[in-house]
Parts: sequence; C-alpha cells; structure tokens
Amino acid sequence: MRRNAVLLPALIIGVYLVFSTGPIIWLMLSSIKDRQDLFAWPPTVFFRPVWTGYEAVFGVGSAQNTATAVGLYDSLVNSVVISGFGTMFAVVLGTLGGYATSRFRFPGHGDFMFFVLSTRMIPPVAVLVFYHMLYSRLHLTDTWLGLILVTTFINLGLATWIMKGFFDGVPTEVENIALVNGYSRLFAFRRLVLPIVSGGIAATAGFCFIVAWNEFAFSSILATTRAKTLPVKISSAMGATGIEWTQIFAAGVVLVVPVVIFFYLIRRYLLMGMTFGVLAKGPG
Amino acid sequence: MRSLTQVPIRMLRVSAAAAGLIGMLASPALAETLTFVWHAGTCADTFYNIAKDYPDKNVQMVPDLVPYGPMWHDKIAAEFAIKGAGFDIAMWDSQSLAEFAGGGHAYSMNDVFKESKVLKPELFEKFSLAAYGEYPDNSGKYWGLPVNQDAYGFMYRKDLFDDPKEKEAFKAKYGRELKVPQTYQDAKQVAEFFTRPDKGLYGWGQMGGREYDFATTASNAFLWSFGGELWNPATNEVKGYLNSPASIDGVQAYVDMFKYGPPGGQNWGWDEVNSAFQQGKLAMAMQWYYFDGSNSDPKVNQFADRTKFGVLPGAIGRDGKFRRQTMVGGQGMGLNVYSKKIPTVIKFMEWYFQPEQQKRYAKVCQTGLKSVLDSPDWQSLNSYNKSFARALSYVNDYWHLPEYPELLDILQEEISAASSGKKTVKQALDSAAERHEALLQKAGYKITRTANIPEVPDQIVNPVGKDKVQEESYD
Amino acid sequence: MSIPQDETARVKRAPKQARTLPDSWLCGLFLAPSGLILALMVFYPFFSLIYYSTLQFSMMRPRIEPVDVGLGNYVDLLNDNEIWQRFAFTGKFVLATVLIQFTIGLAVAYAFQRNFKGRDFLFTLALLPMMLCPIVVGFLWRYMFNSEWGVVNWLVSLVGIAKIDWLGRSENALWAVAVADAWTWTPFVILLATAAFRGIPKDIKESAEIDGASPMFTFFRVTLPMSLPILMIALLLRLIDAFKQYDLFLAMTGGGPASETQTAAFALGKIAFGYFHTGEASALAVILLIVIMGLSMIFVRYLTRLSNRV
Repeated sequence: MRRNAVLLPALIIGVYLVFSTGPIIWLMLSSIKDRQDLFAWPPTVFFRPVWTGYEAVFGVGSAQNTATAVGLYDSLVNSVVISGFGTMFAVVLGTLGGYATSRFRFPGHGDFMFFVLSTRMIPPVAVLVFYHMLYSRLHLTDTWLGLILVTTFINLGLATWIMKGFFDGVPTEVENIALVNGYSRLFAFRRLVLPIVSGGIAATAGFCFIVAWNEFAFSSILATTRAKTLPVKISSAMGATGIEWTQIFAAGVVLVVPVVIFFYLIRRYLLMGMTFGVLAKGPG
Repeated sequence: MRSLTQVPIRMLRVSAAAAGLIGMLASPALAETLTFVWHAGTCADTFYNIAKDYPDKNVQMVPDLVPYGPMWHDKIAAEFAIKGAGFDIAMWDSQSLAEFAGGGHAYSMNDVFKESKVLKPELFEKFSLAAYGEYPDNSGKYWGLPVNQDAYGFMYRKDLFDDPKEKEAFKAKYGRELKVPQTYQDAKQVAEFFTRPDKGLYGWGQMGGREYDFATTASNAFLWSFGGELWNPATNEVKGYLNSPASIDGVQAYVDMFKYGPPGGQNWGWDEVNSAFQQGKLAMAMQWYYFDGSNSDPKVNQFADRTKFGVLPGAIGRDGKFRRQTMVGGQGMGLNVYSKKIPTVIKFMEWYFQPEQQKRYAKVCQTGLKSVLDSPDWQSLNSYNKSFARALSYVNDYWHLPEYPELLDILQEEISAASSGKKTVKQALDSAAERHEALLQKAGYKITRTANIPEVPDQIVNPVGKDKVQEESYD
Repeated sequence: MSIPQDETARVKRAPKQARTLPDSWLCGLFLAPSGLILALMVFYPFFSLIYYSTLQFSMMRPRIEPVDVGLGNYVDLLNDNEIWQRFAFTGKFVLATVLIQFTIGLAVAYAFQRNFKGRDFLFTLALLPMMLCPIVVGFLWRYMFNSEWGVVNWLVSLVGIAKIDWLGRSENALWAVAVADAWTWTPFVILLATAAFRGIPKDIKESAEIDGASPMFTFFRVTLPMSLPILMIALLLRLIDAFKQYDLFLAMTGGGPASETQTAAFALGKIAFGYFHTGEASALAVILLIVIMGLSMIFVRYLTRLSNRV
C-alpha cells in the first residue's frame, strides 16, 4: 500500500517535468543553433553553438550598429520600473480590495467583485485604440506613469480575486480576538491577518509580475520610444530577414531570467505560506 | 514575515510620490527628435546609421521598430486612427499606400515638392514614385517617396542546371535541352524532373501561407502571367476578371506546383522558402529580391556559390500570347500629417535623398533615386541588381484602394482554400469575385458592367501580351 | 496555519489604542484607489465601445462621416455564418485547453501534496512554462510542431507514425494550440490546486485513512470536494483567459488555413486593426464580452452557492 502511495506521485511528477521542462530545454538549445541545425532532420542535439541570437538581443557583436539595438538598455530599465511598480500597486490594491470585500459584506459587494473580474474579460485588441485615444488626450502616452497605470489595471482583477480567496480562508476569529481586546481593525489587519496570507500575497505578486513583465499588446501601442518595454523591444527583431528563430528564442531565454529571479526571491513566502481555503476552523 | 507585510503599505505612499515625480520627469527636454516607424531589418539599420551622420546635430533620428507582419500595419494604423504624432515618418508597405493616403493621414508630397528647393519628383524613378507614392493611380498626387524597392523574383541552383548528367537525363526524358524556364509551362516540366523526394530534392518552392500576403503574392504572378486580372479598375468589375478562364488557368498552374515542393508548402511564407532553399531542398524558388543579399551570403546559405537569381517565368495564355508579370514589393516613406515637426522632417529628407546618402543605402537595400539606379556602378554592385532592374519592367500590383486590407484578406482566404484542396480553383475564384463585388458595393463603388469580357481579360485591362516568348537571359 | 504564538501573547496584553477608524471608513479607504483606477480605465473604453458599435465608421477614414446604424452591426454579425463558426471554434478550443490544463494540473497537484525531499525545487521548476513570454511560447511551439523539422514529429516518428501536418489542418491545429496554451498555464492550476489541497486540515485526511480509505479515494471523495471553491476560481480565470487567446494563434497559425483557426478574439483583431472597421469591431467586442460575462455570471453564481455550502 505504501509503495503505491509513493510510486504514483513520483510517476506523475516525473512525466510532467519532462513535458514542462522539455520544451524549455529545447528553447535554450535552439537559441544557439545556426540555421542549418535549426531545420535539420532528425533534430540535432549535438552541434556547434552560434551566439548570433544573443548578440542580436543585446545589440553586440554581429548586431552592433543595428537600429534594433538602440534603446535596449533603456527598455530594460523601463520594464523593470513599469513591471515593478505595476505589480506592487496591483498587489497592494488587490490586497486592500480583497480584504474589504471579504470582511465588509457591503451592499453590492458581489457586483463589485464581478465588475473587477470583468476587467479581465476584455480582449486587449478591442479597446487598444480607445486607450490610445484616452492616453493621447491625457498626455500619458509613452510615459512611465501611463504604462504603470495600465499594468496595474490589467492585474487588478486577478489580484483582488485571489487575495479575496485567501482572506476568505482566514477565520474572522483572528481579528475578533484583537478587536475584542480593543485593537483597531487596521492593526488586526496589518499585524495579524496579513502575515497569515503572506503566501497568498507572494503568489499574487508572482502571477502579476509574470503578466506585467510579459505584457505586449498594450505596451506596443501605448509606448513608442521612451517608455518601450523589453518584450516589445526584443520582439521587433522578429521577421527581420526571415523569422529570426534564434533571435526570438534567445529573447525568450533572456526575458524569462528576471521572472525566475523574482520567483527565487519570493520562494520562501511562496512555498511556506501556500495554504488556503478551509483553514483550521478546528482543531477545536 | 514582518518585512513582507509592512513593506507594501509604507511603499505605497513612497511610490505614489515617486511615480508622480517620475511621470513628470519622463518627458526630458532633448534635442529635437524625429521618430520613424518601420519593421526591423537591414534596411532600417542602414537608414538609421545613415541618419546618424545628419549634419544638423540638433536633430536626432529615433527608431520605433515593430515585428514584420500584421503588427507593422497595425501600429501605423493605430497612430493614424487617433490622429497622433507618435512618429513623424512612417515606412509603410507599398500595399498600404492607398489606405493611409486615402484616409488623409499622409502629408501631401506635392506640397513638399513645391516648398522644397531640392526635392522634386524628377529625382526619382518615375515608376518607383508612382508605385510607392501616387494615389489615386495616375492622378499626379503623391503622398510618399520610395524608400525600399522590391519585387517578387526567382532563384535557382545553377549547379543543377549545369550538371551534364542532369542535362542528359532531362533530354532523354523530355526531348529538349535543360534550361532555366522562360514560361510556367516549362517550369512545370523542369520542376517535375527535379522532384526526387527520396533524395530530399524538390523542383519548385513557392509561398502558400494564409497570413498577410504570402499566398496571393505567388498566385498573382501566375494569374497575371496567364492573362488574368484581379479586377477592372475602370469599371470596378471583379466578376469575369478575377474568375475569368485565364485567371483560373493561372491559379490552377500555381496550385499544381505544390506537387513539386516539399509537403506542407501550402503554409509557407518567405521564411520557409528561404530555409528550404538554403538547405538544398529546392532546385528553383520564387522569392523576393530583398532576400537575394542574404541568400548570396555563404554564412546564411550554404549553397550561395551555386545560387543564381533572375526574373520569374512568364506564361503562354490561352490566347497564345506570352505575358511575364510579377508582384511589386517594397516600402514607401510618408510623413505623418499630424506630426508637429514637418519642416524639420522635410529638411532631413532633403539631405537624405542626396545621391551620396542613397549610394550608401543602395549597398544594402534598394533606392528609388534615379541618378543612383542609372549609374553603372549600381548595376554591377551585386549579382542580382541587373535582373532586379529587368524585373521592374514586369511588375504589377494589388488594388490601389483604401479597402485593400479586406480585399487582400478575402483573396488570401480563397486561394488558401484552393491550395489546401478544400475548394476547386474555380469555386475559390468565383467566391472571391462574389465577395469582392459585395464589398466594393457596400463601400460605395459603382460597378458598371462590360459586355463580352474576354476569356483573357488582360486584353482589355492594360494589355501586356506579346506574340512571342520574350526571353530573359539567365547566365 | 494558526496564529503565531508571540502575537497571541501580545494580544492578551491589550494596551488601548488612541482612536480607531470605523469599519465603513476603512472599507471605503481600501476600495477607493481600486475603484478610481477601474473607473478611469473601464468606463471610457467601454462606453466608447458601445457608442461606436452603433455606427458604421472607420477610424482610418475620418473624412467619411459616421453613419448611425443602430443595432445594424449586431444584426449583420449575428446573421453572419462566419462569426458563428468563429465562436464554435473558440468554444472547442476553450474546452480543449481547459480540459488538458485541469487534468494534468490536478494530477500534479495531487502528487505534490506530501512533503518529500527536493519538493520545493521541483515545484519551482514546474512553474517555469508560465514565466515565458507568450509570443515566444507561440513561436517555440510553432517551431516544434513544424511538419518538416519539428521535434514533435520526430518523437512521433519514433513510434512509427508518419509526419503529421499539425498546423496546416484545423483539426490538428486546434489541439496543437490547445497543447501550447495548456503547457503555459497548467502551472497556474498546479499552484492554486496545491495551495487548496494543502489547506485541508490534516486530521480530516488522516481520519479517512484510518477508516481504510486508499489515497485515491481520499483524493476524490475528500480533498477534491473540499477544494472546490478555489478550483472553481481557477477554472473561471482559465476559461476567461482561454476565450481571449490571441497571441498563440497569431504566432502559430495566423488564423489559417483559410479562416479555420480564427477564434472570435482573432477575428476581432482582424476587423479592428486589419480592416479598421471600428463600428463592426466594437459590436463584435460587445458580443464577445456578453458571452464571456454571461458564462462567468453563471459560474460565479454557482461558486457563491458552493462556498455558502462549504
């Protein structure tokens, strides 16, 4: 009985890891193949690596003096600032909103949550032109503030819903103990409830950062030169002289590094605090 | 745990202030910048590098590059739609000229010619200026300048055609000499001869992809060469032209050629054609002249030393006449009418379109400046300029209408359906003609019917038929 | 997780706070910033959408006066067979990808329940696909699914099957793109499901085991039902995102062959940006929104009923 209990999970995880990391390894391998190896049949695993893809991404070596290399460093800074602040605002506002909706069952709270969720339902293409117009009138186009606003906005729905879910899993006794003893709600919130949902905050921050960092549709239209983010910048290398596969793959590898770093930084909160839902309403 | 939860609230206040500050600071006062939008590539790089040498150091040219493909059109369109000044100069695909100029988003080039002492229409090759800047057709109104010329061309493996063993085998099988084909009818035979799947070699490579303009670029070359037409610009008719017997012949010939290419060719764009050719899978291929540069580079194409470029074949139509027609490509450069820096841009253009700068540009891309194109140096600059110059006499183009994107999309869909076997060629073209006319009518165009449309409509729309095959040299 | 010990001790000591904000004020304060951003970013585009959907107008041709057609755009769209095909295809795609995501996601979350050595590292590794840029994912899978040189066909050939045309035939392309989408977002499901499973009190699981239940039984009869609220949120979010999927189709099929792999969102992009029929595009957007909202409302109602039960 016990052997099966170990074998099945191990098998599942093993197969899944092959499925999930296999393509990523393939991505990394393909990012250093030259055109012959890229299209060889059967696919090559051993070959002489070529670094033109990465050179194009960083605008060095063979890709010096290209127009694509211009502003690469700036777009990296843009991405860090915009994704960083956007994620932070989304998480903070989502946490506050999620708590409010969870604890204060104000009239229309269900509608509010649905409204918040509906912001996620709009395909960006439908509203891109309207945002472009709005931003143009408010002089927000191509500014950090404008892009941070959009980044916060697209993550707000997700953050609020997930955080509400986590707060719902914290029994009200937690704050009640404090309130009964004369502490303010705010104190209870900050000192007692937040630590419990820290795992949820970390998870939310992780999801939001991924979305913010990789955001493309809005950034490509709402930013032109000064506030251009990294994915948009790197993507412009697509289809230069043919689909530059190595460039795209190299860009993919480079773009994922900050996200991995981010997750590494929050790993403690993520893994430790990952509980939710039906919490200790017992043991008694 | 403490740090994580206290950080958010404190940082909220700090960052609100910071963001506000940053937002204000994000508009630094710089030297005047001009922004141009284009798709990334060697042409954009060259343009940018030349612009760096602009003598007026107060003006800086900044690139806003987009991926090639629908995004390129969308980005420019989005800016025009909101009447924005996000860029000052737009390099658009030649096909989009009608859409952008027709919508009134491009600054009148005629005004530029009037105001500027330097920029005049005579500086440019007449055909180029018309193709990349004139709208409507033959109106004398210009909205852009040629910034990169291109045409759909032909490339082939010289070693295969020169090989004595191949020549012998071909003569034995078909009873004539193995030569680079002058007509699509010839090409079919040669392609069949070179199609040896077990050896990994195929006779013919062409685009068939649904996206953008891939399939129709190739199919139009066939369609026009067989004497077909997309429509009659004088009467706005499509039925009887797009689905004329000649058009059907042409597109049928196109669809048949997929037999002589690798499987999956029906989804190919120019990238796949390049890859297949560079791997030695193709004996002949249809490809934009734009790529001849990289296909001559041994680092990119391992068969570069055995690759030659030329003009696409023509065809003998059902009326016995020979026609050779291919698709024009390339980009035009227009000024954003909503830009606030038009005088600065004009000054820049006056400098940029000087022969000195254009000669530099011509080393990498195709200029439209007459003086450079006429010079002997340009002809001998590389292995394909000569045939490119020849190809320019055979080019034809899509509809020059603002409704172009939808017309294109419909034709792309129908041709794609025909290549994949979902419809017969006749069904596809009939359907396309039907839909085109519905679209034109909805857009307010009056369609006047011509009685007795010939089977080969080219005869009444800009006829180019010749009685004898006009041979191009391929050596 | 229970309240940390030192906090509890401190609470018992209870010094008096100077003044406290009434709950209603706090509620308002917490909600205000979100409300503001949402108001700004939602109302203007949404009302623009509705306004333009009643017009026959193109922003690319500003010189041509807009024509008021009332509900004309809606009528034309709903009468267009093509649009129904797009929605049908979208529905098929959504089902396919969500099915794959949840089957794999729940299975993996099940496997991650117990503590074992290296679990944390493997868990983080499993999250990797989600972190990639979606357009890169699209191109990666396009490359892997290529019928001539893709590694998927190579694996297939190892089992003796001939090369499959994945992206050129809509029946195959549906699954190819669904696999790519599921590959990216299964980690999302795993993350939330693991959180839910681990949140179930240990004693409930243990008592089931003592009663002789196998791990499988416990999983299906105890763990899953108790995690339903969270799983339903995950499902809802994934469904909404699947309806919007655009980047993958753009990179992998371009909507082809013909228009067979055009989802509703893809068709919307085409009409909005390719043809720039602003009026028609807005109407289609409203229709799409109504569909997604309608389905979500049904879901949310079911969700609230569930959470009230649990």
